[in-house]
Amino acid sequence: MSKLFEETRSLKAPVWGVIPRAAWPLVVAIAIGALIYFGVSPLVGGFVSKVMLIVGINIVLAVSLNIVNGYTGQFSMGHAGFMAVGGYVAAGIVYYGSIKLWGSADPAGGILSIVQEGPKSGPLLGKGDFLFVISCLIGGLVAAGAGYVVGLPSLRLRGDYLAIVTLGFGEIVRVILQGSHDQIQPWKAADAAAMPVYELAWKLGGPKGFNLVPTYTTLFWVYFWAVLTCIAAYRLKSSSSGRAFLSIREDEVAAQAMGVDLTKYKVRAFVFSSFFAGVAGGLYALDIGAISAGDLNFIKSFDIIIMVVLGGLGSISGAVLAAVILSILPEALRDFQSYRLIVYALLLIVIMIVRPQGLFGVREVWDLKIFKRRGGGLGGSAGGAP
Amino acid sequence: MTQFLQTLFDGLTVGSLYALIALGYTMVYGILKFINFAHSDVFALGVWMTIVWSKWLGLGQPGAAPTPWYMGALVLVLAMASCGLVGFVIERVAYKPLRSAPRLNVLITAIGVSLLLQNTGQLKFVFGPYPKPIPSLIDSTELFSMMGVSVRMADVAVIGTAAALMIAMQWLIFGTKLGAAMRAVSFNTRNASLMGINVDLVISFTFVVGSMLAAAAGFLYAMKYEGQAKQTADSMWVMLGLKAFVAAVVGGIGNVRGAVIGGLLIGLIEFFGVSYLSSHYRDAYVFAILILVLLLRPEGVLGKATVEKV
Amino acid sequence: MLDVRGISIAFGGLKAVQDFSLSIPRGGLYGLIGPNGAGKTTCFNLLTGVYTPSEGSIAVDGVDVTGLPPHQIAVAGLSRTFQNIRLFGQLSVLDNVLLGLHLRGRHSLASTLLRTGFHVSQERAMAAVAMRLLETFGLANRAEEQGKNLPYGDQRRLEIARALATEPKVLLLDEPAAGMNPQEKKALRELIQRVRQEFGVTILLIEHDMGVVMNICERITVLNFGQTIAAGTPDEVQNDPKVIEAYLGTE
Ligand SMILES: Nc1ncnc2c1ncn2[C@@H]1O[C@H](COP(=O)(O)OP(=O)(O)OP(=O)(O)O)[C@@H](O)[C@H]1O
Ligand SMILES: [Mg+2]
Repeated sequence: MSKLFEETRSLKAPVWGVIPRAAWPLVVAIAIGALIYFGVSPLVGGFVSKVMLIVGINIVLAVSLNIVNGYTGQFSMGHAGFMAVGGYVAAGIVYYGSIKLWGSADPAGGILSIVQEGPKSGPLLGKGDFLFVISCLIGGLVAAGAGYVVGLPSLRLRGDYLAIVTLGFGEIVRVILQGSHDQIQPWKAADAAAMPVYELAWKLGGPKGFNLVPTYTTLFWVYFWAVLTCIAAYRLKSSSSGRAFLSIREDEVAAQAMGVDLTKYKVRAFVFSSFFAGVAGGLYALDIGAISAGDLNFIKSFDIIIMVVLGGLGSISGAVLAAVILSILPEALRDFQSYRLIVYALLLIVIMIVRPQGLFGVREVWDLKIFKRRGGGLGGSAGGAP
Repeated sequence: MTQFLQTLFDGLTVGSLYALIALGYTMVYGILKFINFAHSDVFALGVWMTIVWSKWLGLGQPGAAPTPWYMGALVLVLAMASCGLVGFVIERVAYKPLRSAPRLNVLITAIGVSLLLQNTGQLKFVFGPYPKPIPSLIDSTELFSMMGVSVRMADVAVIGTAAALMIAMQWLIFGTKLGAAMRAVSFNTRNASLMGINVDLVISFTFVVGSMLAAAAGFLYAMKYEGQAKQTADSMWVMLGLKAFVAAVVGGIGNVRGAVIGGLLIGLIEFFGVSYLSSHYRDAYVFAILILVLLLRPEGVLGKATVEKV
Repeated sequence: MLDVRGISIAFGGLKAVQDFSLSIPRGGLYGLIGPNGAGKTTCFNLLTGVYTPSEGSIAVDGVDVTGLPPHQIAVAGLSRTFQNIRLFGQLSVLDNVLLGLHLRGRHSLASTLLRTGFHVSQERAMAAVAMRLLETFGLANRAEEQGKNLPYGDQRRLEIARALATEPKVLLLDEPAAGMNPQEKKALRELIQRVRQEFGVTILLIEHDMGVVMNICERITVLNFGQTIAAGTPDEVQNDPKVIEAYLGTE
């Protein structure tokens, strides 16, 4: 039609460059995970390490929820439900998988998964680590599948209806998991080993929760995933798909008129977001060595929502920052435990009235003026410095 | 047969509680178009106000004389008044500044208010973190038994009071000038204010009435479950409130009669599910119904479908 | 290029549009006028799939689009602006245009996450095209600003740019001159003419400003209470007694 558009149509895909661009996030994730695990953790000691671990898992949760609630402006209140799905799947795979594969539910990880403090020895990765990594991935995938199912009706439900449906989803997940059968205890490993997989799949401990799962989650794995989540969220945000997400949040009618397929993108957001929630669930379960659906109720979903809202709906760095602050705060305010949630609640109300877009809105920390001024020749006050 | 009738009766009793709470959700939604998440906490507050006022008046405590019915009614009125006041304050402080804000913001604020109420209630100098017994304001022995269905005084009081309040609401909304103003605001806020209706007043009034109904539901809940120990921080309260919200949606949100029908329906579904399917999944039935209704008939049983103007 | 046959819609008892037909040849510039509430915007909503017509059919370049969801109609080549500007306010001016370009590209989740070569070169090409489009509209120097911070006239022009970015066959403009001063209106008239030539699009224009409509439109359709009361060249329409009555009757 017009010369203007020819360029986009005659695109040829250069093959080079794919591998480095696809691979560097992995490298960075491994590097940062290793740095924190081997470098920072021994310096700061056990308690701080533990807090850092919670921070890391919350980063994964907040950044992933932000994709649904922040980017597309839908309102999911069932993030803990996706976390529970992923967590139970991962815990089930690791627990019964260990029993099936090597006859006992003892941890069998390498250096990267040794939970205890102190000097570590042995191979970098043990046989259990592969099981662990795969279990988190499958947990994420199953959660993503659940996200697909929940995301589908999202087209027909605007705003607060969707909020209630997702909340209902989370509660249904909880109720169903609490209705599962008793877990086969570790000392009956032989029984479990003889049982077919489909029978084991429903022996998840019921209301007592799923316990005595071997632990693998260390700071390395948590920050490995946290970095991956952030990079993935960033790549999404700064691409055409990300703009499509944001456009839905800004104005659904206009977005559709611009050719944005609402169903496709809303579902995509859910799938993507719940995948990482599932992974976070896996990390959480295999850190504590137990998971209980009762703990992952809508209060937990609210906690994550508060992080997203505080950080800024749509801001990755904002979500990270909020996750850090809101995970450390309760530890720092242990003596004021009963006031913690009151403070949170007031924070939510005040933010909504005073700064409805959250700390950063859709922007990122590095978009702030203070960071921009240095580079720019137009700089105002900073320009005067010699 | 007996099991069927008993289930039916229990379902209707609890369903009428849901209906009372659902009325509050529906009225606020009708006017402000958002889910007042804090409504379930106002209901819980109703239960606590019943406990507090009874204790203050020395009613229904262990060893005390049976409570005369008019004292019970006094507790009901006091609970309704205190919750009405709380509803008024919530609206003025938290929601009013957000009148023209996106609905998502209001929703988040409502969650904040809900958390605030819950956790304030837990403080030592408010209601405290420990379970407290519900006073027995009403004779709990069996009144009569019909075809194996046991009917207690409390059940009669619950259904009777709920029905009376619902009829009063019907009259208020469709038979008074204030009700006409409420309907006008709910139809089109801007036009209503152009017609000289004091919109702020109507909205405040709606909140107060909704909160009072929730308080009444709380009081009746305390009648039904008298003697049991309850905790302030229990997700059960939110759950009850949510089921009532589901009732409002199922009936057609914004529709007063729909809320009543939805409430009874949800009560029945819950109890029949529990007694004929499995008690494990009690909460799941209600949400499954919600999702079903939203997918098949998003406007609810009595609601009207609307087209967004572009 | 655009073939509309007898479309209708009613809201409750209100027959907002009744039996509306229109046929625009390739490259045509047609107008749609009528008093307030006549059903003009509703026509656009029907054409773009916001509402589904209860009867009748719509075809774009010979392809039937009746009943398709809005995004597919956009793919088929129908794009619009909105009477009450609907920009993506929090997004930058550039991003607004990039969104328009979105539907002609390919965007899989995998290529986005892995940043494949194709993905990167597509993003670059899109950015270049968007910048050139902004230059055409004199908005290039504001590319990084948030949409909502633009002055009113710029917002209207940005909406046209965004709609053009979808590479439409037919462009629907809903009161583009609303709220503009005479100077801006004159510039807009030239802009519309230029767009039509440079991009070769077919244009249907809703406008209350008779100066704009009568000067640039080849043919005009007049609506009143949802019904087509006249259609013809500007001269014919201006002298049609029914049209005069419709306009005088409402004033
Ligand atoms: N979604 C809707 N629901 C109910 N009525 C509607 C809806 N959309 C439009 N209408 C009504 O249809 C009629 C036509 O409206 P429309 O917006 O098409 O008029 P218009 O010709 O664009 O007027 P204007 O010049 O003021 O823009 C109006 O009476 C309007 O109130
Ligand atoms: Mg119009």
